[in-house]
Amino acid sequence: MPNGNRMINKSHIPENSTFFEKIVPALLIFMGVLTVVLILFAAGVLLGIVHF
Amino acid sequence: MSINQVLPFVSTAIMGYFTVWVLQRYAVRRAPQFLFWGIGLAMFAAGSFAEAFLSLAWNPWVFFVWYLFGAALNAAWIGHGTLYLLVRKRWVHAVTGVLIVGSLFAGYLMLQAMPKLDAASFTTSKPVSEQYGTKVLKDGETAPAGAQTATTTYRGKEVTVVRGLLPLGTPVRLTTPFFNIYGLLTLVGGAIYSAYLFWRKRVMPNRVIGNVLIAAGALFIGSASTLTRLGYGQFLYLGELLSAILMFAGFRFAARPQPDEVPQAIAAPAD
Repeated sequence: MPNGNRMINKSHIPENSTFFEKIVPALLIFMGVLTVVLILFAAGVLLGIVHF
Repeated sequence: MSINQVLPFVSTAIMGYFTVWVLQRYAVRRAPQFLFWGIGLAMFAAGSFAEAFLSLAWNPWVFFVWYLFGAALNAAWIGHGTLYLLVRKRWVHAVTGVLIVGSLFAGYLMLQAMPKLDAASFTTSKPVSEQYGTKVLKDGETAPAGAQTATTTYRGKEVTVVRGLLPLGTPVRLTTPFFNIYGLLTLVGGAIYSAYLFWRKRVMPNRVIGNVLIAAGALFIGSASTLTRLGYGQFLYLGELLSAILMFAGFRFAARPQPDEVPQAIAAPAD
């Protein structure tokens, strides 16, 4: 995604951060699963399995 | 005006500003991802405006814009920008060709469908997302409250249908899942993958958060659209607005310089 600024980035994810250690991985997994579900839904529509 | 008529206009304004912001970055950097994001976001804004317009009045060409840009193409074009960012290979140009030809073909099919639109079935009391498709009722199935039904012949059989703007078997509807699957894979998958890469390397927390917001924004509109197709259209306009806000916030967050970033224009690779 955006990769625009032409700078060397030295910033790091903070140590022992609950947000980065627990919440971010959980969100990534949840969103990955939701993406797969939506793709399967769209594929089901394409194949005529899901009618709406 | 009701809140459901105001929300799409707010989403349109946000997406319009977002589009200009991204295209300005393309004008400065000439990186293809900004061009594809900008085109896709412009499609999103056009679709959002068309949806807002169709909550007030009917116009077949506004419906054309809504279906082609809002329902079919925008996610694929935004996602294709992400593919350009993540994959620096020649075959991406071939995918660009397929996307452009596929989009033109979808536009051609939509033009073919225009004379066949069932405009008499249109009402401003429901989101256009709830009434664009004609649906066959199975044996024993009852039509939703307030829906207009008709009896027609389809594939040699007499069937009862819930009337919609696009007649049964309209070819352009077959193209939409292809674009949406590609858009979901590249836009949401790309954002999740980018966030994971930065998270695993323990660097650039702004890009981890930015990409999480982008993925969440895209999933909000994807989920709201799916719920609408399943008959729960009350979440659509709110979903669109949240999607616009989250994706814009995500892009701004990901592009934001960090306090300890050191400007070094000479060494930075051209992106």
